[in-house]
Amino acid sequence: MLNFFSLIKNEQIKLYSRFATWSMYIIMAAIILIAALIVFIFGEVDQQQYGDDWQTQLATETKDLKDSQEEMEFMAFDSEIAKNEYYLENDIKPQPYDTWQFTLENAGLSMLISLFTIIIAAGIISNEFRWGGTIKLLLIRPISRTKILFSKFVSVLLFSLTMLIALFVTSLLVGLIFFGVNGVNPNIVQMGSDGIEEVSILIEILTQYGLNVVTLIMMATFAFMISTLFRSSAMAIGLAIFLMFTGNTIIGFLADYEWTKYILFANTNLGQYFGSGSPIIESMTLGFSVAVLIVYFVIFILVSWLSFAKRDIAGH
Amino acid sequence: MNIAMELQNVHKTIGQKEIIKGLNFSIRSGEVFGFLGPNGAGKTTTIRMMVGLMNITKGDIKINGSSIKDDFKEAIQHVGAIVENPEMYPFMSGWKNLKHYARMIPGITDNRIKEVITLVGLEKAIHEKVGRYSLGGMRQRIGIAQALLHSPSILILDEPTNGLDPAGIREIRHYIRNLAKKENVSVIVSSHLLTEIELMCDRIGIIKNGELVTVEDVRDNQENDQHITVKLEVDDKMAAITLLKDQFDIEAKEVQSNVTFKIEKDQIPLIVKQLVQENIAVFEVALERSSLEDKFFELIGENTIA
Ligand SMILES: Nc1ncnc2c1ncn2[C@@H]1O[C@H](COP(=O)(O)OP(=O)(O)OP(=O)(O)O)[C@@H](O)[C@H]1O
Ligand SMILES: [Mg+2]
Repeated sequence: MLNFFSLIKNEQIKLYSRFATWSMYIIMAAIILIAALIVFIFGEVDQQQYGDDWQTQLATETKDLKDSQEEMEFMAFDSEIAKNEYYLENDIKPQPYDTWQFTLENAGLSMLISLFTIIIAAGIISNEFRWGGTIKLLLIRPISRTKILFSKFVSVLLFSLTMLIALFVTSLLVGLIFFGVNGVNPNIVQMGSDGIEEVSILIEILTQYGLNVVTLIMMATFAFMISTLFRSSAMAIGLAIFLMFTGNTIIGFLADYEWTKYILFANTNLGQYFGSGSPIIESMTLGFSVAVLIVYFVIFILVSWLSFAKRDIAGH
Repeated sequence: MNIAMELQNVHKTIGQKEIIKGLNFSIRSGEVFGFLGPNGAGKTTTIRMMVGLMNITKGDIKINGSSIKDDFKEAIQHVGAIVENPEMYPFMSGWKNLKHYARMIPGITDNRIKEVITLVGLEKAIHEKVGRYSLGGMRQRIGIAQALLHSPSILILDEPTNGLDPAGIREIRHYIRNLAKKENVSVIVSSHLLTEIELMCDRIGIIKNGELVTVEDVRDNQENDQHITVKLEVDDKMAAITLLKDQFDIEAKEVQSNVTFKIEKDQIPLIVKQLVQENIAVFEVALERSSLEDKFFELIGENTIA
């Protein structure tokens, strides 16, 4: 076991000895900063205006929303209206935008982390071939290839976890500077599966980040498999990113067919079973999706293992 | 005599092509074994099988009694190796690279790492990034350092003299001989140039087209390993013999019309210079081919080496 930790330590050192890895953190931090600036300058100002007469303000706002909805003959503002009514009924003053909200919205940036994790996963094996064959020196130690493979896979997961934590902490700090904070763990009012509900924002943040991790892990494992199979990172990166971005569109086209539910991308967004979401295909359940994801995961890992554990390390 | 490594009828087929066609030989403990053959003979392929990088199609390789096929971890822990160019992580320093490999085997202390660095003479460059190391010497050195970390009893070096200047080759020869003599390490060195490894080997196996042609003892009839035979054609033979005796402590003999003696090759320029200064006319300096060299040419064909 000690051995395994040493291997992971090695992988982490190799990762963080390269500027490419650090640049990922820098890019993410820059995006967070820009997002904060945009929100600060252009967005969400109306919410900060609720004063002592917030009840009247809310009532007028709700009425306006209802009017425009009637004009449009479309339920565009249903959840806004329901939220406002919930505030009034329960006598809760809407809280201004703060760092918690900002952090919650940044859960979407885990898409960026998926991208970076794919790049890392695609390189962690193939680079050892590319750097003129360090793989040879790696595999002539009294350590099984299986162990080396898994140390590399775990290192990829560790990297994305580190990045998620960095995303969370940076968002929280940047948000704090720009928007302040409403409390240690304030509640927010939002549309749930059974109408309006009040939830702890920390739980909501963890849920959103957690749901995004599913896509992240699946795509990273996919890239890892391709890179082990073809020993080329370019191919793994290309294929994984292409599928990540087109996957949902493809599913959209195929949503009429029942068998679509067995496609990986129909199942990666577990958000469809939470909150106000609804499954892509009616017969799908959370249990079903989790089962499908596990099957794909096992296949990806198995293919990686088969192609790494036994194959010749021939000339480069 | 203990056997460190044994190849038993080793075959390798890649695709339809049989690259190694049944190798049988053993390496004894504490000997330096040369693995000689022209380009494409199958040296690297054999070495890749020795260290488990390639599967053995048929046959087996035993290292200290353990099969590299069936008992990889047990077999490989006695082995240190460089296979083709020893590539390190270019973005890390030499020290970090060695630490990286040290972490993979329990019990390698920082002191041991420093010891190895001193042995290969890399103290000055060890904290520089490997990417900045000069192509020949420094990279070979760090490659050898990496292979020695865990004090292996068998050291496999694939073309260690590749890209080295004569001084570099002499230095490598020096510490390979030292390892074999002082620490009883068995060393396998491959090369396609006889002259580069002849002086460091106890035995040399010659491989051609995936087959072992012969295994020869190098030091049998060579009392002094580093010496080669030189034939001199001079006008005054007696004066030359006296000069060699007085100034270089060399016992030279008069053979036919020549003066012959044994010395290290790099002494030749100095001797010639002295002879000329003493006004002895030198008509010819010839090196006598060793019997092994003759054999090598005969077996391989002069045109196919180098
Ligand atoms: N992966 C491979 N697929 C097909 N043929 C290969 C492969 N690797 C090596 N060969 C062939 O096997 C033969 C032996 O190659 P090998 O690299 O073992 O020779 P070598 O003795 O090390 O030569 P060199 O002195 O050039 O290093 C060559 O003819 C080579 O073309
Ligand atoms: Mg070779």
